[in-house]
Amino acid sequence: MSTPTPDSGSTAGGVRQRSRQYLRQILDAFRDRPRARLLVLVGIPAFVLLLFFILPLAYMVWLSFHDGMPPASLTLENYLNVVTTDLYLRVVWRTTVLTVQTTALVVILGYTLAYSMARFSKRTTLLLLLVILPFWTNYIVRMYALINIFSRDGLLDWMQIVTGLAQDPSGIMYTHTAVLLGLTYVWLPLATLPFYASLTNMDDNLIEAAKDLGAGPIETFFTVTLPMTKNGVIGGIILVAIPTFGAFVTPTLLGGTDQLMIGMVIENQFTEAFNWPFGSALSVIVSAFVVLMLLVAVKFGASDVVTRRSDTQ
Amino acid sequence: MIPSTIERFVDRRGRAIGLGLMWAVIALLWIPIGIVTLMSFAADRALAFPPDEFTLRWYREFLQNDAAIDAVFTSLQVSVIATLITVVLATILSYAIAKYEFPGKGVIQLIVTLPIIVPLVVVGVAMVLFFGVINVGTGFWSVVIAHVVRTIPFAALIIIPTMLRFDETLEEAAKDLGADELDVFVNVRLPNILPGIVAGGLLAFTISFNEFVYTYFVRDTRTETLPIYLWNQIRFEASPEVNVISVVFLLVAVGMILLALAITNVQRITMR
Repeated sequence: MSTPTPDSGSTAGGVRQRSRQYLRQILDAFRDRPRARLLVLVGIPAFVLLLFFILPLAYMVWLSFHDGMPPASLTLENYLNVVTTDLYLRVVWRTTVLTVQTTALVVILGYTLAYSMARFSKRTTLLLLLVILPFWTNYIVRMYALINIFSRDGLLDWMQIVTGLAQDPSGIMYTHTAVLLGLTYVWLPLATLPFYASLTNMDDNLIEAAKDLGAGPIETFFTVTLPMTKNGVIGGIILVAIPTFGAFVTPTLLGGTDQLMIGMVIENQFTEAFNWPFGSALSVIVSAFVVLMLLVAVKFGASDVVTRRSDTQ
Repeated sequence: MIPSTIERFVDRRGRAIGLGLMWAVIALLWIPIGIVTLMSFAADRALAFPPDEFTLRWYREFLQNDAAIDAVFTSLQVSVIATLITVVLATILSYAIAKYEFPGKGVIQLIVTLPIIVPLVVVGVAMVLFFGVINVGTGFWSVVIAHVVRTIPFAALIIIPTMLRFDETLEEAAKDLGADELDVFVNVRLPNILPGIVAGGLLAFTISFNEFVYTYFVRDTRTETLPIYLWNQIRFEASPEVNVISVVFLLVAVGMILLALAITNVQRITMR
């Protein structure tokens, strides 16, 4: 069957006709070869991810067991170096502390936000936009926005002077607090979405039932709402904890060299120290930590959240 | 057990408290963005709040700064190319996943989502290592490849559900009426899945346009995207122009959201 094209006489139409002809020939060639067709459809994207994503990671793991660029001899020295050096242990510890603190803050703020959006407000579209737009704004821009606020003579200092809390504040740049607030600010919108999704998916009748049985709003929240939205909470925690543990932009811009996180040390090993095997070992440690977090999450029943977040509608 | 007086208080005032907290958190999300926009009009060279005087000077300097404008165009080039490649790859993969059963399907779906999960800095260094080994090295095309890897998962996560929602019987009907495979795809399936594909493409473009960490590792000195330019400015110069570039990113984000709103619903993009 030929499709009638209104402009088949013109050159553009001719090109279109001809390209359709070629496409049709290609499809005809695959018609009776379902396997070959599948191989092309799946194979091309899979090949791209394999070559440019999986293989690089595999190579990095391999490199982390060498004492120099290959062909160097195999060694465990890079890993031993991490666990025997005070500096690196302290960096790993600080990274862990910041990750836990950030995640806790984000869960509290984000869940409050999502709860009110889902329960008390009807302007869903507007609110979702208000939450997601800051997240769609460039990461570095958001960091710079915070520099505007945290630095000496910034908004924070001005507010302290106006309210009389401090006479001569000098900002909070390059402190633990600055990095913590920065990371929280960045990930808050992202975590709010799974919270919100699980809250809207929840059956409201359960809340009514709890009330009928005599539970107050707080008791209902802790015995019904929170357990019912457990998967959303775990999803949010994963979405925040993983990028926070590997963060390097935020601590570099807001924390400087005083607040080293492991992501910064990795970056430094590659761009300044040029100790690539050691940087690789640190990367493997970060990845192992992430895998561990995911396994724990899956054990708590969040496999859906990890592998596909498309079932929220 | 919670005292009943507290329960009664929350019962009566919960809504007001909840809405108050909600708007407070939303305000916290927007204050930094408002401040950046305000500061882009501040006359002072140094960051100081509140600004004494307002000016358009930094906007003029930005528009006359060749390096900054070059960075904008480099970013656009990278993002347009990466988005086109991503949309094609994500669409054919989603088509296969929605239409066929095959061994290893679960593994493929896992591999597609992995780039979202592995920390950016880890993938960034792994890419620069491996690109060196296979002689791709650093540069424009390395950046494009990195952006494709970064955006495929997000595009696929939006396009796959659209494909799954497509009613296969429509295709059967078209075939019964004599349409061949190409006609079926172009005239029946494509119009049905197009909103999903466009939404996936918009998201891919936005992520690519904002992408920094992968780019930072695999670029060469000549390939300076706007986020890289911004990073260098903040780290080494900190001129007031940085506020202006921030506003440019803001406008792009708002523009993309509006565009997305015009063709699809918010839920689809934000909830994935």
